[in-house]
Amino acid sequence: MLKIKNVSKSYSKGNIRAVDDISLDIRPGEIFGFLGPNGAGKTTTIKMIVGLLKPDDGTIAIDGVNVWEDPLRAKSMISYVPDNPEVYDRLKGIEYLNFIGDMYGIAKEERQRKLDHYLELFNIKDAVGDLIASYSHGMKQKLVLTSALLNNPKLFILDEPMVGLDPKSSFNLKEVMRNMCNEGKTVFFSTHVLEVAEKLCDRIAIINKGKIIAMGTMDELRSHAIDRKSLENIFLELTE
Amino acid sequence: MDKIISLIKTDFNTTYGLSSIAYSFKSKKNRWQIIVFGLAILSLLPTYFMIVKGLGAMYTVYSQIGQKSMFLLSGFLSSQILVFVFGLLYVMSKYYFSNDMGHLVPLPIKPSYIIGSKFVTLMISEYLTSLPIILPFIIIYGLKGGEGLLYWIYSLILIGFLPVIPLVLASILIMIFMKYTNIGGKKDLIRTISAVIFVAAMIYFQLKMQTIAQKSLMEGDNFLINLITDSNLLVKKLGMVFPPSQWATLSLVNSSNFSGLVSLLAFLLVAAISFTIMIILSESLFLDGLIGNIEMSASKGRARRINSRDLSRETRPYLALARKEIIMLVKTPVYLLNAVGGVIMIPIILIMSSVVSEDQSLRTVLEALSPNSGFLILGLAGFIVALGMLNSIGTTTFSREGKSLWIQRSLPIKVSDQIIGRLLSALFIQILGIIALLGSLAFIVRLGLLDLLLIIFLGLLGSIPMTQLGMLIDILRPMLDWDNPQKAMKQNLNVLIGMGLGTLYLGGIGFLTVRAVGKVNFYLIYSLLILVFVLSTIILFNILGKLIKKQFEILE
Repeated sequence: MLKIKNVSKSYSKGNIRAVDDISLDIRPGEIFGFLGPNGAGKTTTIKMIVGLLKPDDGTIAIDGVNVWEDPLRAKSMISYVPDNPEVYDRLKGIEYLNFIGDMYGIAKEERQRKLDHYLELFNIKDAVGDLIASYSHGMKQKLVLTSALLNNPKLFILDEPMVGLDPKSSFNLKEVMRNMCNEGKTVFFSTHVLEVAEKLCDRIAIINKGKIIAMGTMDELRSHAIDRKSLENIFLELTE
Repeated sequence: MDKIISLIKTDFNTTYGLSSIAYSFKSKKNRWQIIVFGLAILSLLPTYFMIVKGLGAMYTVYSQIGQKSMFLLSGFLSSQILVFVFGLLYVMSKYYFSNDMGHLVPLPIKPSYIIGSKFVTLMISEYLTSLPIILPFIIIYGLKGGEGLLYWIYSLILIGFLPVIPLVLASILIMIFMKYTNIGGKKDLIRTISAVIFVAAMIYFQLKMQTIAQKSLMEGDNFLINLITDSNLLVKKLGMVFPPSQWATLSLVNSSNFSGLVSLLAFLLVAAISFTIMIILSESLFLDGLIGNIEMSASKGRARRINSRDLSRETRPYLALARKEIIMLVKTPVYLLNAVGGVIMIPIILIMSSVVSEDQSLRTVLEALSPNSGFLILGLAGFIVALGMLNSIGTTTFSREGKSLWIQRSLPIKVSDQIIGRLLSALFIQILGIIALLGSLAFIVRLGLLDLLLIIFLGLLGSIPMTQLGMLIDILRPMLDWDNPQKAMKQNLNVLIGMGLGTLYLGGIGFLTVRAVGKVNFYLIYSLLILVFVLSTIILFNILGKLIKKQFEILE
């Protein structure tokens, strides 16, 4: 579903290698967790997948479509939730949702059905008539989540999705992610919350200083580590 | 004291982005931008020199009637009034709509410290307004009159303190205004409408007062005798409109004797006193007007339920984009005042000023032209096309996205939808301007329906390449890293570059049109203009398409 091949990205004229020759192959129906300490290259990688940053080398393909050669087709298959949801403050929530719906060309009935469902699920139905400027961080996060789920993406990409969400919404989001996988969709997300990754993910990759230092199912990761108790131990050991 | 210096330093740095400019100048790709910027400035220079040359002639006229001091007064008066008018806008967005307020208010600092530091940065912005106006007046007067050393020293002091009084006035007015309009959920709308009415009323009274002053001056029996005996008569009479500009003028005119020093001290003293009053008032006024802006979230949950029709409105992408742009333009006070307000206010002010001041010249010109409506049509259409750049909608369309640009870049939006949607929003605002222009023009001259349609058609068609030109500049160097929408529009060099290139484009077409008038039929000229506009639109559309695609890939 998502194929990343030998992708690199440097900043400051090549002095800082944010992402260093990474390759990933993520299958349909899989929840993939992307772990790493601060500044490891998680957001840079995600931005390259969704078309916000151009890689220096390598290719990224979504369902066989090269993100940088046919961006429109690639983008219509994905939805992206950034770590810091900067959205149009001066629009009302509902205006923003309709705007996103229009950009994906989502039909009337479909849109109404999706909005009814997700606005209820994330408990923001009463707030969508307000200006986004009045939202808390968590509410903006929920609004962006709702907008990202409108187009029924084949590949759902989330950057630190649990930050700022209340426990109930966080639980609901995990359910949504699970259901998507059951339908054969793919979820790719970065997180600091190791517990979430441990419980939710089919496979996990750990990135450190731009390089992927470990990848596999929880069991596979355990088999490589000396202290095999929890993902936290494995993570600490690997990223030392 | 340390606190206030640190506040000023930080505010100065964030306002003018000194750290980030220093950072960006290191990169090679910025070099060509400096060249384009230089060209844009150069293209504005001829107009500026023409104005300065006209000022030289004005000096001669005043000095012939023995009232050359009036020349200086015109300079002080016009620069201080402009500082005041711009000050109203600057103060509003700097004191009340900048995002850093959310960080500053919880800190243990007095409101007067915040206002004081913001005031200092505003002073610097205001020099950009006042210097180009006042300098030619002072230099022409000083050189032609062979003034002494004291004249130049006084000038320097006066120039330095020139923005203080108008800016203090603007600050106090805005603080009172914000305190008492801080009501209800629709306060942005209330404020914007009252602001527009307020500025219109100000200009009206200003013009009215000038007319009254002029009339009373002319009506006196001894006017001519007084004119000869008192070489500062006009300054004393007309300077009453704004006394500080009178003191400034008198201090320069009398720089060689003691009364000049007295006037200078009066000017400085009033500046200092008014600044102190503003600082004292800010303690009781400022926070009351501000707090409501931060506590916006109070309305949360109380909003009306959304009906299902709102949930399922389906629109074509370019229309949805246009609608989003228009909502943002209308709902963000800074954009509303500058882009929408500008397009509506400029024509109304131009025409109303002639109606109110009973100045017959515009009417005479228009009436002389109207039998041969071709000139009028071309002139008015040209004016609308010029508004197409002056509204700064094209030149800031991507900059206004700011940190939300990721939305546009990660959505599957066709480049053509990007261009058409943004163009439509600009044209919508242009239509408001056209209504204002033709509506206020109806007070002076009657136009036939066919003429009106031609003006609207040519004006709108010409606005398309003008907006595209602006978009072209903006996509090449969008200003995305801002915390206050003011920066995206008022402190965006793209606006200035756009005006420069727009002047070249429209000036070129205007020049050719003027040469063609009289030699060929007007209808041929219209047809040729339509052809030029359509061709420019197509060419610019293609270039824009490629650039947007490329820039959306590499912008970070």
